[in-house]
Amino acid sequence: MRATIFIFFLLIVSATRSQQNSDSLLLKTMEEVVVTATRSPRLLANVAIPASVISAKTIYQSGSLRLNDILSEQTGIIITDNFGKGIQMQGLSSEYTLILLNGEPLIGRTGGVFDLSRVSIRGIKKIEVIKGPSSSLYGSEAMGGVINIITDQSGLKKTDLNIRYGRFNTMDGSIEIGRKIQKMDIQFFSNYNKSEGYSLKPNALQKTVEPFQRFTNQLSFSQPIGERWKLQMMARQNHIFINNTIAVQNGGNTIVSKGFEKNNEYNLNPSIQYNNKGKLTSAFRGYFTGFTGLQELQVKDALGGYDDQFKQRFSRLENQTDWQIRNNSSLAVGVGQILESVQSNRYDSMSTKRKNSVAYFFLQHEEKFTDKLTFIGGFRYDANKAYASVFSPKAAMQYKFSDKLSFNISYGKGFKAPDFRQLYLNFTNLAAGAYSVFGTEVARDEVRRLSNQNLIEQTTSMFNALSILKPEVSGGINMGSRFKLPYGVDASINFFRNDISNMIVTDVIAFKKSGGQIFGYFNLKRALTQGVEVEGAKKIGKNISIKSGYQYLYTADKEVLGSIKKGDVFQRDLQSGLASRMGVSNYGGLPFRSKHNANVKLTHEMQSGFFSTLRILYRSRWGTYDIDGNGLINRSDEYANGFVQLNASMGYKYKGRWDIMSGIDNILNYKDLQNLPGNPGRVGYINFQIHF
Amino acid sequence: MRKLGIASIILAVVTFFVACEKNETVVVETVTSSTINSLPADTIVGVSNGQPVGIGKFSFFSIESNSVIASADSNSKKWDIGLRGTTIITNAGTSGPGTGGAFVFKGTFDELKTISPDSTFKVDNAPTSYAIPTGSNKGWYVLDFVTNLLSPIPGRVLVIKTANGKFAKIEILNYYKGGTTPAANATDAEKSSRQRFYTFRFAYQSNGSKSF
Repeated sequence: MRATIFIFFLLIVSATRSQQNSDSLLLKTMEEVVVTATRSPRLLANVAIPASVISAKTIYQSGSLRLNDILSEQTGIIITDNFGKGIQMQGLSSEYTLILLNGEPLIGRTGGVFDLSRVSIRGIKKIEVIKGPSSSLYGSEAMGGVINIITDQSGLKKTDLNIRYGRFNTMDGSIEIGRKIQKMDIQFFSNYNKSEGYSLKPNALQKTVEPFQRFTNQLSFSQPIGERWKLQMMARQNHIFINNTIAVQNGGNTIVSKGFEKNNEYNLNPSIQYNNKGKLTSAFRGYFTGFTGLQELQVKDALGGYDDQFKQRFSRLENQTDWQIRNNSSLAVGVGQILESVQSNRYDSMSTKRKNSVAYFFLQHEEKFTDKLTFIGGFRYDANKAYASVFSPKAAMQYKFSDKLSFNISYGKGFKAPDFRQLYLNFTNLAAGAYSVFGTEVARDEVRRLSNQNLIEQTTSMFNALSILKPEVSGGINMGSRFKLPYGVDASINFFRNDISNMIVTDVIAFKKSGGQIFGYFNLKRALTQGVEVEGAKKIGKNISIKSGYQYLYTADKEVLGSIKKGDVFQRDLQSGLASRMGVSNYGGLPFRSKHNANVKLTHEMQSGFFSTLRILYRSRWGTYDIDGNGLINRSDEYANGFVQLNASMGYKYKGRWDIMSGIDNILNYKDLQNLPGNPGRVGYINFQIHF
Repeated sequence: MRKLGIASIILAVVTFFVACEKNETVVVETVTSSTINSLPADTIVGVSNGQPVGIGKFSFFSIESNSVIASADSNSKKWDIGLRGTTIITNAGTSGPGTGGAFVFKGTFDELKTISPDSTFKVDNAPTSYAIPTGSNKGWYVLDFVTNLLSPIPGRVLVIKTANGKFAKIEILNYYKGGTTPAANATDAEKSSRQRFYTFRFAYQSNGSKSF
């Protein structure tokens, strides 16, 4: 608490001191370049879709180590705590958000969730965030948005060493080296991150977060060949090791199992680029990535154990050609082929390799009709082997009334391909009622096999409805404006709506004689997410900037909404226990969505090299699980409490060579074991950086 | 605070009028209503093959006399419903010698004023089918696989034909001892020891008509 007061004090002192020379300086963000929005470099102010850039400086000053740390402080982004740190954007969950590293997708998801804590954000140049569907450029998973982590490949000469120590014996060390050898740019980055983990429950046998170690190594080269060609190569390797102790209660006995989890990941990204004075550029890119997950658990004093293996490979060859037709007209064309394979004992045995291949083509045309009016139209076609093919169009328009006011509107389709789990899963849980889940491609055969063994009681009508899975699709509209207000306030507003259909859910296809249910996957659900996002930024004097953001979000399952309107849905009163008919206003929408999400960020920077930040984050209550038996979020006890989190940091740069910084995250020490296991409470840390 | 004050005044006035209305019109003497709290229904006594089990006997209840019936009288027309774990039986078919039966009505307890003449009462045919279907989300309850907690589905009324062929309606309110569901993060031991206790309310029409 003392630290907050101190920082507040500092902010106030410097604010009053610098009041005289206050001017409406533009906050730099709009002048930044963004590549993810259109797959070619554009000024952020000229991009017709919701985009933002998080700079390396912001990341450093916020004391962020992993991708989830910095994303959790962005307007409209929620970090979820299921299967690792997942992202939620525009109300769409992690499985519908694409995570890119230098424009290439990162793979290895569990239950659809990409664990953001796998990614170190030390030594990167910036992070670009695009909201709304971008499947017209990126294909599958780019439904709710795209996060693109862009590493520094400039070859700028540097040797930086960074060491950080924090609570729970959390250590983070990294080294970053940049060199130019003749014309070749070389960048090397290495990171080591470890923690003892923590326990939110005192004296628990099992820690809430187990001890882990993570390693990242990254190397990139860039070599020009003549005037027009450039050869580039990036290699990255990531390793994670987690100690696991799992305590399970079974009939009053506590069974302790010990084990580990090991993840290995590699990325290889060679490319050749041709550039004819910006008139014609063409890039041939190769991308090869693999993710291996291994989990082993040995039950104490018993022979049995648990062994989970997962191996995914993703290879892609692609060409993108950009043609500047005229000054005000450009065309981008891309063509590529993806080969993907998965082996896992979750599906059957490790020896069976499930494969899929996708061939795709995309085209995007950008036309500047006048200085004020820009139009972008494009589409992508993905032809798949394992599921139905998809066409994803997109159109966007920007109208700039003046330097002070611009208006954007865009519409795009997004899709998410059925994943290997939905196609091939073969899972039976012997502990919880012996239920089984079968992927669509294996469900019929598995049920028939069990039926031949006389283990099936009856099949349901859904068994006959089993058919080839279609991709989940969405239509997303974004409409907004960027404008300047009096007193030097830069502001933006964006209304969004996503209509998602063909959502894949499980349904019962058969009952076993033992009473257990068998589930299959179906394209059944339709949902909607809509809301508005508002952001503002202002510079006070020379030294202080204030940024603030707010998102209002409404989500609903459309079938449920229909049933409620028809009067078919009931609720049970918390006090009386009596049932009544439920109204639309009581419906809390999709679980894990907060209606309100806001932040205020203050940054204070002085010429002397001193900085301090204070970030206030707010998230309103969110639905967790049903209690009153209607399967929906409607009653007050079905929500997790909303909360405020306060993070602060300060640092000092000494003689341009030494950086020291320190910070406290979650100053108010907010904890919620049930709903926020990933939040350890108050965490202090100290960080040193040396620039050799 | 002021809003709250006004709200409570309005509430008081409304309650007054509703209360008056009740006094004047309803109260058909032949309908009895009652709430039963935490009626044990084959509570858990141990673990067998990894599954918690009870001793396997039904708890019998007479709606007509509003009382628990000894299990020695299982083969009589003294009882109207039997409860064992999540299974609810009625006194007919494979379950008993009565002329009972049941079906599940979708709607609220208060909405069900008259049993529609074209509704059919089902009869138990154990173990394949029961008048009140067994299983999660099939009859009167839903089981959450994540929390392992059971909730009666709101808006489900069990329409019962008693052993003697009269009519009653039941709303099950809770399945746990004390009438409150354990917290999601309660221990397995608590979830296990407190389950199989029925809290329910019923209305019984003793004159043989289908109206309540």
